[in-house]
Parts: sequence; C-alpha cells; structure tokens
Amino acid sequence: MTMFHFFNCAILTFGPHAVYYSATPLSEYDTIGTSVKAALVYLGTALVKLVCLATFLNVSENDTYDPYQELLKAFIGLIDVAGLYFALTQLTHRNISQNHKFQAVGLGWAFADSVLHRLAPLWVGARGLEFTWDFILQGLEANANLVFSLSLAALGSLMWLRKNKPRTLIPIIYLCAGVVATMPSITSYLRRGLGWHLMKVVGFELFTSLVMAFISWQLFVACQRPSV
Amino acid sequence: MATTRKYGREHQVLESVIALVVILVACVELCDAATVVDVYRLIQYDIGGVPFGSRLASLNHHAGSSPFSPGADLSRTVVVVPIRELNITFIREYITQKQPLGGLLFLLPHILNSKNRDYASGGDHREKEIMRSTLLELEQLLIHSNIPYPVYFAFEDDNIDAVLADIKRTDATGQPATATTGGYKFVVLAQEPRKVSSPTITNIQGWLPGLKPDGETNHLPTIAIVATYDTFGAAPALSVGTDSNGSGIVALLEIARLFSLLYSNPKTRGRYNILFGLTSGGPYNYNGTHKWLRSFDQRLRESIDYAICLNSIGSWDNELWIHVSKPPENAYIKHLFEGFLDIAEEMGYKVGLKHKKINISNPRVAWEHEQFSRLRVTAATVSGLSVAPELLESTGGLFDRRNFVNEAAIINGIKLVAESLARHIYGYQGKKIQIFADDSNLAVNPSYVKSWLDLLSQTPRVAPFLAKDDPLIVAFKKELADHTREVNVQHEIPDGLFTFYDSTKSKLNIYQVASVTFDLLLLLVLGSYLILLFSFLVITTRGVDDLIGLFRRPASRKVKAT
Repeated sequence: MTMFHFFNCAILTFGPHAVYYSATPLSEYDTIGTSVKAALVYLGTALVKLVCLATFLNVSENDTYDPYQELLKAFIGLIDVAGLYFALTQLTHRNISQNHKFQAVGLGWAFADSVLHRLAPLWVGARGLEFTWDFILQGLEANANLVFSLSLAALGSLMWLRKNKPRTLIPIIYLCAGVVATMPSITSYLRRGLGWHLMKVVGFELFTSLVMAFISWQLFVACQRPSV
Repeated sequence: MATTRKYGREHQVLESVIALVVILVACVELCDAATVVDVYRLIQYDIGGVPFGSRLASLNHHAGSSPFSPGADLSRTVVVVPIRELNITFIREYITQKQPLGGLLFLLPHILNSKNRDYASGGDHREKEIMRSTLLELEQLLIHSNIPYPVYFAFEDDNIDAVLADIKRTDATGQPATATTGGYKFVVLAQEPRKVSSPTITNIQGWLPGLKPDGETNHLPTIAIVATYDTFGAAPALSVGTDSNGSGIVALLEIARLFSLLYSNPKTRGRYNILFGLTSGGPYNYNGTHKWLRSFDQRLRESIDYAICLNSIGSWDNELWIHVSKPPENAYIKHLFEGFLDIAEEMGYKVGLKHKKINISNPRVAWEHEQFSRLRVTAATVSGLSVAPELLESTGGLFDRRNFVNEAAIINGIKLVAESLARHIYGYQGKKIQIFADDSNLAVNPSYVKSWLDLLSQTPRVAPFLAKDDPLIVAFKKELADHTREVNVQHEIPDGLFTFYDSTKSKLNIYQVASVTFDLLLLLVLGSYLILLFSFLVITTRGVDDLIGLFRRPASRKVKAT
C-alpha cells in the first residue's frame, strides 16, 4: 500500500512533464536533446548556487525569517536566470523554432528541478507506513514549478532571442521576468515570515503560476504579431 | 545507420537504468513512525511443558478500543485497554473463551511509572486500593492463561493518550479500523521468542564470624538471616517487586551494616557467627534456598541456631507476622517469639505468630523458612503478609511499585529484627536496652534504606533473565563484601519445572495510515487530471482534430487499405 502511495505521488510530481512532452508538438519534432541539455545546465547552475550559498550564507539556529539572509538568497537565485540565459542562447540547438525552443528548455529545466529537489524526499518518505499530506502538496508544487519554468523560459526567450519587440511591452516583459525569477524568495517569505500553512502556500503558488503563464502567453503572442 | 546505432546505445542505457530502479525498489521499507512507545511483553513460560502466558511477540495490526459493536471481528485488531477503565469480566470472557484477537495492549497509569520522580505516597487511598486489586486480579488471570496472541503493557503518556482518544473517536462512528478505512497501525518488530537457554539462579552469602574465645575448641553457633531477591510478575521487564521482596533485601543489607559495625570492634563482637544470604528462585518454591542449604557442610548446618527469613516488610501498618512451621509450643519458637513480642511492645507494635504445618509430600513451599525446617533447622519468616501466598502470588507483580511501599515500615521492621538478634547474641533478653537507638551511631540509617529501595524499585529482577554477572548481582556481592568478612557466590541451575522465553521489552511503532480506498481514489483523481492535461495541451497546441485523430488512426488505415 505504501509503494502505491509513492507511485501516486511520483506520477503527480513527474507525470505532467511527460504528458507535456508527449501532448505538444515537442514530441513530433524530437526535441528531447534540447531538454536533456537544459537539464544538464540546470544541474551545473544548482552546483554553482550550492557553492555560493555555502560560502556566503550563515545557517541560523531557529526557523525565523531573516531579511538579510533572504536578500542574499534572492541574489544567489539570480544565478538561475543566468543559467537559463546560457541554456537558451549559448547551447546549439537543432533547427527548431523559437516557439518550441523555449518550451523544450523550460521543460528540461523543470524536470531537473523536480528530480533534484523532490525525488529523494519522495523515495525516503512516501514509502513508509506513516501517512502525511506533504508529498501530495510537494507534487502540486512541482506542477506549479513546471508552469513557472515555462513562463520564465518564454519571457527569457522574448528578452534575449527576439530582436524586434514593441517598445511599450519591453518593461512589462522585464517586470514579469523579475517576478517569476524571485518567486522562490516570495514563497519562502510567506512560509517563514508570515507563517502560512503549507497548503496555503502551494495554493498561492498554483494560482500565481497560472496568472504568470497567462500574462507571458499574452506577451508572447503580442510580440509574435509584428514578426509574422 | 548512425541513428540506429544511437538508438541502440540509448536502449542499453535505458535497460541499465531500469535494472537499477528495480534493485532500489526491492530495498527494505524504511519505518518512520510518528510515535514510538516502550512496551513490555507479558511473560511467556511453561510449567512442566504446559504453556502459559502470551505465546507471540511480533505485532502488525490495526488498533481498536472498547466499546465494540457486538459480533465485531477482532482477530486482526489490537485492542487497547487503559487499566483505569478496565472491565475485567470482558477480558476474562475473551481469554477463557479463547476468542481470537490481533493483540492486547494494556495502558498502566502514569503514576506507576518508576521514571516518574514524585513518589506520591499520599493520594486517594481508596483509589490506590481499587487499582491494586484490579491489577492483582488481571495479573493472576493473565499469568495462568495460555494466550495465543501478543499481550503488551505500556505506561500512559501524552502521545499514547492522544492516539487512544483518536481511536475512540473513530470507533464511535461505528466503523472499526481495517485496511480499507484507515486509522492507526500498531507495529512491534520482534523476533520469535526463544527459550532462555541456560537460566541460572545465583545465591550470594556473606559470613560474619563471631569472637572465638581462646581455648575454645567447639565451633560457634550461627544465626542466619536470609531474603530472596528475585521476582516474578506479569511483565518481567516491569517486575521490580519493591515490597516483595525489595523490602527484605534492604532490611538484610541494613542489618548486615549494623552488625558489621558491632563486629568490627573485638570488644563488641558477639559469640555467634552471622550468615547473611541473598537467595534466588523464590517464586519457584524457594528453589534457590533449597540448593543453597544442600550445599552446606553438615557441621555448618548443625551449627545454625535459628534462621530469620525476611519477606515483604514494606507495607505493614501496626502488625507484623512471624510465620513458623514448628508448633508454637516448641521451646525455641517460644523463646524466639517472646523476644520479638517484648521489642514490639516497647516500640508500640503488635506481632502475631502463625503456624503452618509442612506437608512433606506436597512440593509447594509457601515460605522460605519451610526449606530450613525440612532440614531440621529452626526457622521463622518475618512478614507483613498474614496469609501464605499461593504459587506465583505476591512475588513482585505489576502493582508492587515504589509508591505502594512505606519506608517507615521497613525501618521499624529492621529495628525489630536487629534488636531481637542483638539481645539474643549479647544475652540481653528481657532487659529494656535499646542497642540500635535513634541518635546513636548504631541507628538505622534512613537514607541508606531509601537509596537501596529506590534502586531496587527500578531494577526488574526475574531470575532467568539475570545473567551470572548481572550488575545487580555484582552490586550485592560488593555490598556484602563491605559488611561481612567472606562472601561466596553460588550459581545453580534451577530445577527444570519452569522454562522461560525471552523478548520481554520492545518498542511499539504507531503509524497513522491511509486506507487503500484513499489511495485508489487518489490514483483515479491523478489519472483523470493527467488525461485532462493531455487533452488540454493537445487541443491548445495542435487543435481538436489532432485529438480526435489520435483515436481514429486505426480506422483511417483501414480506409487507406481499401
């Protein structure tokens, strides 16, 4: 029965990635190579972030919210953006349209994030007899994270790959990218600083991810019109 | 060509990954319980091959609590019973009718926990009496039944109280907890209990020689003071026997200390040897005493003037009993009893004489002095109990904990025995002299009594589970060596009537589990979520026709063929 629970949580956490890949035209154009490369870039970024965190952050004894530490963590989180930039622009992709490029990169990025952050706790925790809601909430968080990664990849491709953008939209693009990039800091502030329950935080993440996805989609469509 | 080779390599990588995953899946499940509780198993033993007690140790069932709906199937449920609300007739019915249960867990009140530092000897006297009689009845029921499922005892604390309240709440809705309705699962990981391979009973004796005047060739007479130190109870890991016979041990050690003070100075050394004996095997018809006496030299045995056995002197109020097996008209017994009577009168207490004849053909030995009497040695037992206990009764059970024992009673008992001994040794019978007066340097030391009593009330002492070099036996040896000249330790194998099984203490893991229906429901929800997601994505990125096309592909091929 407990392997059953592990299986359930695993398909909640990793299923959407597989579904996204097979449902969209990504599978038709065989963009798996791009996703794999993006995943590897994420691994490298995670390593760099780890080293920076270990060097600059001092671990506090209790679980209180320390604004300076959080600011530092947010700065280090910008390395994520740098990694995404690297994956979008510097890697050589096969001849795939920009539309599919950002999706493949975002998918690879989100999948690597889920595996790195959620597979080990799931394996260790969900197989035991004791039941908690934590792993289901973690799976929902992984879903929200997927949407965030896709939005960030879309905004990133708009910022760095698209040359002719309508003037008025540029600040909005940068603003949205900033919001999505600092999302981890915002959620940690909600969890520690305001003391929100995990369920509320996950709900907030899901809602925000849908909102940001909608906005980035609109922006993308808006930027696409002139180049057509 | 290049692509097929690439696919081949990818295929190999995939295969090895799958193999790794399969190996990992076969790993042992990690247990991470929300609550872990110390539990103590009911004793498992055979008398002459007839099994008694709880025959199983490992437990893995759902938990339930009374009241039960009539006719409920409890063969896969662990029934949790707090002793405070014990309905003894219900338990008796279940056990005597041999109804199948998954397991039994008794919750002992918090006050009995020896780790609880405040030994509230006050408190409601009536409540204590009710608790004592309930536990006594339960214990006698359990140790004389053959129970084919695990029975455990645990102390109430906040964790388990919360779990019990939860269980009662869900049970009140009418549905007992099973695999499909969730609830709590109790797991005790224990190996199958094995026979204790070579149990030993250890007798420790201390010899305090008397003053032999020059020119005397006869041996000095000896007086023996003995007490059994081992216990037997429903939960061997909890059988600390503070009254039976922790009080006797403490009294013996204090008397040894007092007489060692007297005997250390040749001017006050008496003309009697004193032999102190801490014997084992008490609950099993005083088997250890029997073997100890048989190991004696004939001369030593004949030189014993009389023996005083100490048993349960920790909870008497104002009457102490002297039990004898020789008739009261016997000169020695009269002399002995009158000595006790005088001192008791001075101290303001009563002593009574009880005579119980020995039946040689009956193997039952009710008092320790009977073992001496069977070898023609005058002996008596000083005890707070007025009636001879039955087999495996009053041997240090569940209720015999620290807060049922009165230190003052033990101190009075010590004074009584020590004074009568001293008056006999130094020839002061009938004279009103107090040798061990309070405020003298020979006064009974209350802190000595208290500290040994506290130690003994935290040490379970069931003989088959005490190894030859158990720290307690070493401590007794050392203490007697401090007070006496010569200490001997004798290891014996008990007569083979009783066999014991191990696994007396375990940890209970309490898991809060979700039912199978919950998991199935979750699978259904997730399946439909993924299918919806798939359809949504196909529709938005490829169009509705593509989605329909996914289902129509075989049909279209048929069309093409024609």
